[in-house]
Amino acid sequence: MELLTALAVGALFGVAIFQMLRRNAIRSAIGLILLGAAINLFLLSTGAYQGLVAAYADAVGQRSDALPQALILTAIVISMGGISLVLALLLVLSARYGTSDLDEIDELRG
Amino acid sequence: MDVHLVLLPILLPLAGSAVALLLRKRPRLQAGWALAVMLASLAASSWLLARVWSSGGAVVFQSGGWPAPVGISLVGDLLSATMAVMSQAVLTMGIVYALGSRDRVVGYPAFYPIFLTMGAGLTGAMLTGDLFNLFVFTELLVFSGTILTAISDDRLGTEAAFKYFYMSLLASATLLLAIGSLYVSYGTLNMADLARRIAAAPDAPLLPVAIALLIATFMVKSAVFPFHFWQPDFHTASPTAVSAMLSSVVVKLGVYGFLRMTTLLFVKQAGPVQGLLVVLGLAGIVYGGLGALGTHNAKRMLAYSTLAQVGFILVAVGWGSRPALAAALVFAVNHSLIKAALLMLAGAVASRAPVKTAAFDVVTGLGRYMPLTGLLFFVGGLALMGIPPTNGFVSKMIFFRSGIEAGQFATLAVAGLVSVLTLVYVVRAFQRIWWQRPAEGAKAKAKGDQLLAPALLIAAVLLLGLWPEPLVRLSEATAIWLGDPQSYIRAVLGG
Repeated sequence: MELLTALAVGALFGVAIFQMLRRNAIRSAIGLILLGAAINLFLLSTGAYQGLVAAYADAVGQRSDALPQALILTAIVISMGGISLVLALLLVLSARYGTSDLDEIDELRG
Repeated sequence: MDVHLVLLPILLPLAGSAVALLLRKRPRLQAGWALAVMLASLAASSWLLARVWSSGGAVVFQSGGWPAPVGISLVGDLLSATMAVMSQAVLTMGIVYALGSRDRVVGYPAFYPIFLTMGAGLTGAMLTGDLFNLFVFTELLVFSGTILTAISDDRLGTEAAFKYFYMSLLASATLLLAIGSLYVSYGTLNMADLARRIAAAPDAPLLPVAIALLIATFMVKSAVFPFHFWQPDFHTASPTAVSAMLSSVVVKLGVYGFLRMTTLLFVKQAGPVQGLLVVLGLAGIVYGGLGALGTHNAKRMLAYSTLAQVGFILVAVGWGSRPALAAALVFAVNHSLIKAALLMLAGAVASRAPVKTAAFDVVTGLGRYMPLTGLLFFVGGLALMGIPPTNGFVSKMIFFRSGIEAGQFATLAVAGLVSVLTLVYVVRAFQRIWWQRPAEGAKAKAKGDQLLAPALLIAAVLLLGLWPEPLVRLSEATAIWLGDPQSYIRAVLGG
């Protein structure tokens, strides 16, 4: 299971970074979403297996730590806000510049 | 009441922002309310600083009554309290400027509430003692800054905001990864507890990874040299009242992070981090100076100059000796005041230009219609160059003295040579705006932004130049406090 999670995290990171580097703004926004998912899975795996016992738990047998899950919940909420802000900005930008090619949105220079 | 003191500077702007949203139908009342909230919050953080300074310890609030490291601690020590007072003083001036500004953006019902959440995010990130809480507060700061820039009068604001937000989301990603790496290695996110456990077991395999990721995060936050490319765009396109905040106090969050990293979290591993900071800071000084020379816009020039000035601070943080840390703090506080004032003045000039921009082509010669702005800009320019009787002189002097004490002559030589560039670009801007003749038929508008806020900031610049002892003594006390991470750990964890 650990190997599977590790592979999944790695694959998600790979796909996310590949998508983020694309010129199409929509695809790169999707890359951001995938990046968020990759990080959340990574955070989940930090609490899922027998590693260090959580700060508050004395029981050695306790396998799963609830704190990363709480962290993920917060991160999900924040990244939802972030993604919707990115999409809103893209909506304005694509209407204003008439393109979703990030290389053509380059009026700021100097 | 005592321990709640550290809560007030965060809670006041946050709650004030919610109330300000309810007041959206009454613009005058909303603006006045925002100013009152920010003033109250500044009073609270100053009170906190006074308390911390006189007691010599730290004010720690364990939220929800859970003792550290289980709960989230808010820690007001000398460093956080100084940074919080500095930020909130400049933020208050930002609201004063917005009150007298003729930008359309300050009339939007969401402007003041988002401005207040920006203040809450910045102060919270500096006062928290928990890494994940730091992430949450920086997100609040980033979101607010992005929105305030995206709604700017400048139509390029959206593009700049998009660039910045994209970079910041990546920085949040690295911060989260660092948090995960540290948590899986040490089982805690409380900064004091982390510092203790890292010192006890410094060979965790994920520790170097976490350090590298944290460096990347704070480099984006402070726009340090290779990660700076969004910064001039972002600071130029945002509304003046906001860009004066972004370029002065918001970039100090990364500086704060680096100070915490090298003096609390990774004391034993600090060597390579400090070496990197010196190199990158120096690169920033050179690159920022040259970049400022090559610009055609006063606001953009000041944004590049921020890159150079933050470079000075990072070099001092990198030296890491006690006088160097004190120098970094003095420099940080002084630069915040100077840069906020200068950006507001550039914005005031732009507000009276025929087209609203600070591009030199447009504002050339318009200075003859605004002699007072010119006087203030002159004093601010002196401060940026480091000429007495301004606080810029004090910070440069302490910086060079600490460098000589540390024996870093090569670094000092480069920094000294390149800071001559400051003279060149400030004088050039002054010349273009106040000395040259205006183009045929170019006339300034009769009314522009009011000068109260930059005038107050320039007054502070002069005051701190003529009477620097309190700030210097505060910074020295802070440097001594930072030199002893055990006292921070004891204050948070007890015992």
